[in-house]
Amino acid sequence: MERENSIPWYIWLSVFGVTSAMIGVHWDIAWHRSIGRDTFWTPPHVAIQLCGVIAGITCGYLILWTTFTNAPLRAVSVNVLGLRGPLGAFICAWGGFTMIASAPFDDWWHNAYGLDVKILSPPHVVLAIGMVAVEIGCLVLIAARMNRSAGAARRRLEWLFLYVASMILVALLVVVLEYTHRVFLHTAVSYRVISMLTPIVLAIASRTTGRQWAATTVTAMYTVFLLGLLWILPLVPAQPKLGPVLHEVTQLIPSGFPLLIIAPAFVLDLLWPRMVAWKMWQQALVSGALFLVVLLPVQWPFADFLQSPAARNAVFGSSYYDYNQSPQSYAATWRFVPLENAIQFRVGLGIALACSMVSTWLGMGAGEWLKRARR
Amino acid sequence: MRGVKADQPLPHGHGSVSPFLSRARKQAVVLAFVSATAFAHVGSPDVFFQGNAGPYPLLVTIRPPDVIPGVARIEVRSLAPGVEKIELTPTPMTGIASTHPPVADVAQRVAGDTQSFEGALWLMSVGSWEVHIRASGPKGTGELPVPVPAVALRMQPMSRGVSYFLLGMMALLAVGIVAIVGAGVREATLDPEVPAKRWSRKTTVAMACASAVVIAALWGGNAWWVSDAATYSQRIYKPLGITATLNQPDQLQLRVTDPGWLKQRRLDDLIPDHGHLMHLFLVRWPAMDRIAHLHPEQTATGFFETRLPSLPAGTYRVYGDIVHESGFAETAIGELALPNVDGKPVTGDDAEGPTVFETGYKMVWVHGESKPVIAKQVALFSFEIVGLDGKPASNLEPYMGMGGHAEFIKDDGSVFAHLHPTGSVPMASVAVASPAAMIAMHETSVGPVVSFPYGIPTVGQYKIFVQLKRAGKVVTGAFDVTVI
Repeated sequence: MERENSIPWYIWLSVFGVTSAMIGVHWDIAWHRSIGRDTFWTPPHVAIQLCGVIAGITCGYLILWTTFTNAPLRAVSVNVLGLRGPLGAFICAWGGFTMIASAPFDDWWHNAYGLDVKILSPPHVVLAIGMVAVEIGCLVLIAARMNRSAGAARRRLEWLFLYVASMILVALLVVVLEYTHRVFLHTAVSYRVISMLTPIVLAIASRTTGRQWAATTVTAMYTVFLLGLLWILPLVPAQPKLGPVLHEVTQLIPSGFPLLIIAPAFVLDLLWPRMVAWKMWQQALVSGALFLVVLLPVQWPFADFLQSPAARNAVFGSSYYDYNQSPQSYAATWRFVPLENAIQFRVGLGIALACSMVSTWLGMGAGEWLKRARR
Repeated sequence: MRGVKADQPLPHGHGSVSPFLSRARKQAVVLAFVSATAFAHVGSPDVFFQGNAGPYPLLVTIRPPDVIPGVARIEVRSLAPGVEKIELTPTPMTGIASTHPPVADVAQRVAGDTQSFEGALWLMSVGSWEVHIRASGPKGTGELPVPVPAVALRMQPMSRGVSYFLLGMMALLAVGIVAIVGAGVREATLDPEVPAKRWSRKTTVAMACASAVVIAALWGGNAWWVSDAATYSQRIYKPLGITATLNQPDQLQLRVTDPGWLKQRRLDDLIPDHGHLMHLFLVRWPAMDRIAHLHPEQTATGFFETRLPSLPAGTYRVYGDIVHESGFAETAIGELALPNVDGKPVTGDDAEGPTVFETGYKMVWVHGESKPVIAKQVALFSFEIVGLDGKPASNLEPYMGMGGHAEFIKDDGSVFAHLHPTGSVPMASVAVASPAAMIAMHETSVGPVVSFPYGIPTVGQYKIFVQLKRAGKVVTGAFDVTVI
């Protein structure tokens, strides 16, 4: 009989899998930006697929164990197609199988259309859906356990919950990395994708844990994670193994400086306790607007800084660009991409505002539900 | 297997003159645009190249991938002992990337053959690439640049096994996620031990919504996939066409037409190959009993003009070899119906044949009939001119700087390759890759045996036309070969 106050092995394994995937994804992107050559068995790919394998095996075992034995988890299990297990285990397993299914799909895609050198391709999205599902499953596993715990155990689980939420944020923002590069940070599309994906995670973290600084903590973890990668990955020597090489590279090229989403997260954490009496939709409207209104004046000038000579160093990482990026490219000449005209920009920001509100509302709803999850 | 066959039959019958032509004999009209893979040759994407990497004579075969980016297979055979290491480096032929080579790959020695090496390289973008072959041994090191055109040739269909696996997974995952949503709504918020209601309106609505989301996601994913596939299919190589009009009894006007491929392809950037912007081959079809190798003059961008020698009436396949300034070589293809042409004898570098040899001389394929020719296997096709005494003629001369020119043509029209003793790479492409290498390859003395390295791409019946120059005259020999 496991103790309800301990953190069970399957949660630790799931958290490990989630971390492995997120390190793997950023490592893989750095690999593509500096070494280029790709096989299924590169270390970053192994780190990513490890997540699917761990999730599939761990949660598959958990489900079979709960279904076919009189395990204590049976009392807190749900029934899916005749099988029993914690809801999070089913979601994790589903994500793991989705990740595994993406591997032959991606391999065929490479053979049929050539190696895709972009993040957003159908097989990559299948992989990302699987990865995010594993993370959501892990989140649900932790939430159910957390809601059945109290005291120090609950607090530990709350920290784990916030950590996994930050990994979800990392995963979601990786998917749109091509739109949030420093050269796009003066376009509405950049703020649209950030507003679409970030508030939902912040609202879930805040609502589910009930901690006052939940959103700030999640974004701080995201920031520390990305800063760690930004500062550690370039220490690894690497050389292009593919042409065309337009620019000499001697080390792994990391993703850029993290987005400053910690600023709106801090403001939201500060103001959310004052809105508790409001209806959820009212909170979502105001919070969504606040998110964008705080993010814009912080991120916009910071993007100017990232494009300046002062940021072209190991701390801010603006000196890094891909081996196959032209020296005349926007990234290599530190220019913003003039993607939109004034009208498109304004309309884009309007859409970003709506996205932020809807995202917050969905996050609040999901957070409320997760707060009640017991199984 | 890299050879790609012409998969569309010619719209008109072979070997006959159309009724229109019988009424208007002054005009010859292109009948068809032949669909085939034709970037520097037709249906023969593999590259064969013979040259020296410093002190080491090498025979290099590069088998480009079907998709770009993709992996090219490289075979290097040292024609003399002593090579200890072969390194391979791909770079684009021009531009800034040509000066930044990636880390070299070391080719592996083939088991049981000390002079053969194999390797693989990624070709990452469409265009004109070169593979630098660096050979090392006791005599030092040397490098041989080998131009390779990188183009997407086709889309690989999904194998049955993979498609069944993915369909099965799709069904399982779709059903699974709907069931998980149902379970979540029905039971996840219940306290431990509390029995769940089997069914409720809320659960039904949640599962219906989940099903709708799954269907929408699958529909959207499919639309995205179709869109990406369509985008990719536009990148699949489309050969240039060539149309012709006979505007005087023996004067042919040619127009190179672009069916639309990459917008970077231009026709105003051609560079001379052996001193000519176009090497035009007219091959009477289907008998392949007549060939003319002509060199039209460019009159405007994409327009060429040439005098014809005397040619019998019939349908002719038209192959126009050109090289762009990037070193990317293409063969423009078309078909032409000609009336009897009463032209002037060929002069200069122009040639037509097969030659009716004067008494006592003939062109022979050295050991040609004694060895089987196997598809894709690299072989040296060797030819010489012998006299009545059986001795080879010693007075061969370079023909446009080469020991000879050879055309390999398959009887179904799916393969046309124009070769030199250095292989299948046009000299103009070599010049772009390395002017010094091109100068080194120009031959000043020839023969008596002239050999062409080539791996015939597919099984079937082929005609080989060989053009050698002797005593100031270009002579053309014709040989039949069955490839197994």
